[in-house]
Amino acid sequence: MLVLVETWESIRDFVATGGDVLFVVAMALFLMWVLMIERYWFLLVEFPRMHKGIVARWDARQDTTSWYAHRIREAWVSEASEKLDERMLIIKTLVAMCPLIGLLGTVTGMISVFETMATQGTGNPRLMASGISMATIPTMAGMVAALSGVFFSTRLEARAKMAKEKLIDSLPHH
Amino acid sequence: MKKLFKGFAVAAALTVSAGAALNAHANTEALDKILEQVKQNRISEGKINKAREQEFLSERADKQALLNKAKRDLAAEKARGERLNKQFKQNEVTLAEKETELVNAQGTLGEMFGVVRRSAADAIGSIEASIVSAEKPGRAEVLRSLAAAKELPTTRELEELWIAFQTEMTESAKTSTFEAEVAELSGDINVKPVTRIGNFNLITQDGYVVYDVENKAIVPLGKQPASNVVATIGDLLNTPATGYVPFVVDPTRGAILRLNTQKASVEERWHQGDTVGYIITALLALGALIALVRFVDLMLVGAKIKSQIKNANNPSDNNPLGRILKVYHDNKNQDVENLELKLDEAILRETPRIEAGINIIKILAAIAPLLGLLGTVVGMILTFESITLFGTGDPKIMAGNISLALVTTALGLIAALPLILLHAIVAGRSKSILHILDEQSAGIVAAHAEKEKA
Repeated sequence: MLVLVETWESIRDFVATGGDVLFVVAMALFLMWVLMIERYWFLLVEFPRMHKGIVARWDARQDTTSWYAHRIREAWVSEASEKLDERMLIIKTLVAMCPLIGLLGTVTGMISVFETMATQGTGNPRLMASGISMATIPTMAGMVAALSGVFFSTRLEARAKMAKEKLIDSLPHH
Repeated sequence: MKKLFKGFAVAAALTVSAGAALNAHANTEALDKILEQVKQNRISEGKINKAREQEFLSERADKQALLNKAKRDLAAEKARGERLNKQFKQNEVTLAEKETELVNAQGTLGEMFGVVRRSAADAIGSIEASIVSAEKPGRAEVLRSLAAAKELPTTRELEELWIAFQTEMTESAKTSTFEAEVAELSGDINVKPVTRIGNFNLITQDGYVVYDVENKAIVPLGKQPASNVVATIGDLLNTPATGYVPFVVDPTRGAILRLNTQKASVEERWHQGDTVGYIITALLALGALIALVRFVDLMLVGAKIKSQIKNANNPSDNNPLGRILKVYHDNKNQDVENLELKLDEAILRETPRIEAGINIIKILAAIAPLLGLLGTVVGMILTFESITLFGTGDPKIMAGNISLALVTTALGLIAALPLILLHAIVAGRSKSILHILDEQSAGIVAAHAEKEKA
């Protein structure tokens, strides 16, 4: 319990020094990971079942070589790949947005530095330090968030592509 | 020569006496008279001289007496002076003795009174500046007289000192409401209820107020802090006195609140962006509007297509899939190649309407940060202009234009981020609809055809 309280306190300190932009980074990161975990769940649990179902339906067909069969096979593959690619665009966008949000934090932090300079002058660097930490911490947070997303979203994409190829391979014309 | 002069003088005398002797007969009576008169005169003159002599003599005696008196006086005064001098020295010694006696008698009390004076002097500042003085004015006067006092303070005055400290301590633990004159920003002075939170902050119904120590008046802040801070005031004022309520306290007793008035609000910041800022905001609004319209449109189209898939037998005109299926229904009897060409043509016809507007969102999302960059450059140009005019001496002059530069950059990013996200969402939807039309419509047609044949 104490550990939790301490963790919470340190998170609060971090957010207080980093400014409000960190909330936006946190939101983007949270959304990104929720979507990615959902994608992993789909790839590992849901899709194999779907795969089996499609293969069974295809194997049950008499006609697999006519124009109609080709179009139906295409439609099934397209449906499956659409399911696989669902929300991948948003995940990729969120990954791309994270450094931009960090950059936004840099700029707002610099605005507060210059605001301090305008009202208090340059005499006291400690006054400006809070603005500078508001400029640097979100940048770092944005980078870390993007890095954590880049690796897994690329892996997800590759996995989805492979799953699609496998599905195509397991629907032979016989 | 001398002999010669003598001879003349003798001769002259003989001549005169000879002349007188010659006239003696004629005027003897007058001469006698004169003689008599001369004699008389000699007597009276002698008298007068005697009187004068007498007078001088007597006067001399007087002066002598005066001199003697003055001499006596001098001697007396000298003696007195010596005596006094002696006494003065004596008194000095006595004084020193008495002082030592006094110090001995005071003992540690003397030090204590010094401490009392010093702490009274120290307390004046903090008690006058304390906001408790807004509620209980005039507490510093007692301390002031105590700090200025030359003689030892009385027990009563000592009590006043600790009562002053005690009051300050006790009051700092209380939240109390009292009626007081409050100046308004308009310049009016109204009497209204003021709530004091410990010795930290004063609030009224309208927000935070501060205590002006110099004028001993409750004055308004130039600008209230952020709304989420001010919002806690309502909670506090509406809570019964016994409850607990979260409230934002300025622990610096108003210094942070005062500093806060110098900080630009979000709206002021937005206005700092100037023309470029307004253009970026307009882009964001335009992009968001397009995205919203497209999103609603695509959702409707998607729903219609979903229901059309379930009901492939009755193609309707109100959705793209229905129109494509209609092409199949009209060309049922043609051969497969021909049918495929017709379907492709129908799909191509539907595609632009699904994709419409999506690229505009993307372009707006790309333009917004570029405009921000433009604002940055404009701001920097103005900054360097002011450096050329005024030099780098005053950072405050430069800071204004730098804030223009940074605010537009920030606005560019703020506009770009939601537009990118909106684009991703809308593009995702349109892509899935296009997938259905592009890759699945032929399959739907085929499945339908197979069913009909069977």
